[in-house]
Amino acid sequence: MEITVKIFRYNPEKDQRGNYVTYKVEAHENDRVLDVLEYIKGKVDGTLSFRRSCAHGVCGSDAMRINGRNMLACKTLVRDTGANITVEPILGLPIKKDLISDMEPFFDNYKKMLPYFINEDPIPENGRERLQSQEERARFDETTKCILCACCTTSCPSYWANGEYYGPAAIVSAHRFIFDSRDQAADERLNILAETDGIARCHTAYNCTEACPREIKVTKAIGEVKMAMITGKLD
Amino acid sequence: MGLKRDVSLAAGLRYRGPAGYLTFILHRIGGLGMGIFITMHILASFFGGRFGGTLNGIYEHWAFQVFIYFCVLFHAINGLRITILDLWPKLLDYQTEAIWIEWAVFIPLYLIAVYVIVRVGAGG
Repeated sequence: MEITVKIFRYNPEKDQRGNYVTYKVEAHENDRVLDVLEYIKGKVDGTLSFRRSCAHGVCGSDAMRINGRNMLACKTLVRDTGANITVEPILGLPIKKDLISDMEPFFDNYKKMLPYFINEDPIPENGRERLQSQEERARFDETTKCILCACCTTSCPSYWANGEYYGPAAIVSAHRFIFDSRDQAADERLNILAETDGIARCHTAYNCTEACPREIKVTKAIGEVKMAMITGKLD
Repeated sequence: MGLKRDVSLAAGLRYRGPAGYLTFILHRIGGLGMGIFITMHILASFFGGRFGGTLNGIYEHWAFQVFIYFCVLFHAINGLRITILDLWPKLLDYQTEAIWIEWAVFIPLYLIAVYVIVRVGAGG
């Protein structure tokens, strides 16, 4: 089938602002949008720039707005988008070139959440692991799935309005450690999230949950962190 | 080099979010509408006279009341939904159903009120 692909283009060396270029290409309905972009870059216009790495929905490199909604290009099939596809960079981050966003502000917010295991106790003498029950592990299983693609954060209207807001992905990464029974820095993370640009900026628009390619219930995770902050309980 | 972070209102509104995003937008419109109404009310009381009378004429018009009732009712019901989901995060699993319930409550209440307002306002 012939499809029409309208792509946001921006060359920092030539353009003052972005524009859209339309390509008509042949594609199979089972092709992914990433395949279409690869075809355009390889056969039609080699100047097209976009990120991709694993191409299997694991690395999260190819997050972009496809037909107006944040998705991973490698997980979106042409049969689901239809014959007219509009591809734009994710919203709310500076654009470096074409579909490539500057991810630094996103990762700066992520780093603020202390996204690493903190436990000052000595390692147990009888083994190399800090054990926890299956129930304790299941408590934060959902948020371990995050691949930091930024689909959630850049779909959030609160983040669009204020780039200082830490954003859903950062809160999800905080959730992963706050509810880990082995971690000892939950209070520290909750204090960070209580700051002006923290969790109070979430207004439950729910875009993040719908945008997550890993199907993490992002709004629910944020809600659980809100309640932990209010009640001081981590159960 | 590169384009600065810039999210225009138009770009934000073009985002194809789920049902929750529509309620998010309507909630903001509702808040804005109430803000406009209260401001007009205060200005009308403060200045009085011909200017106050003109403002009174605007917000007492049945068409404006249809709009402002939408703002108040939707803001209240949607706010209640968000409050409930915030207090009981486990219910966020049923976010879609909660939005359907919200519309099921809002639409009949709003239509009844609109019927009454228009009937009285249009002199029926």
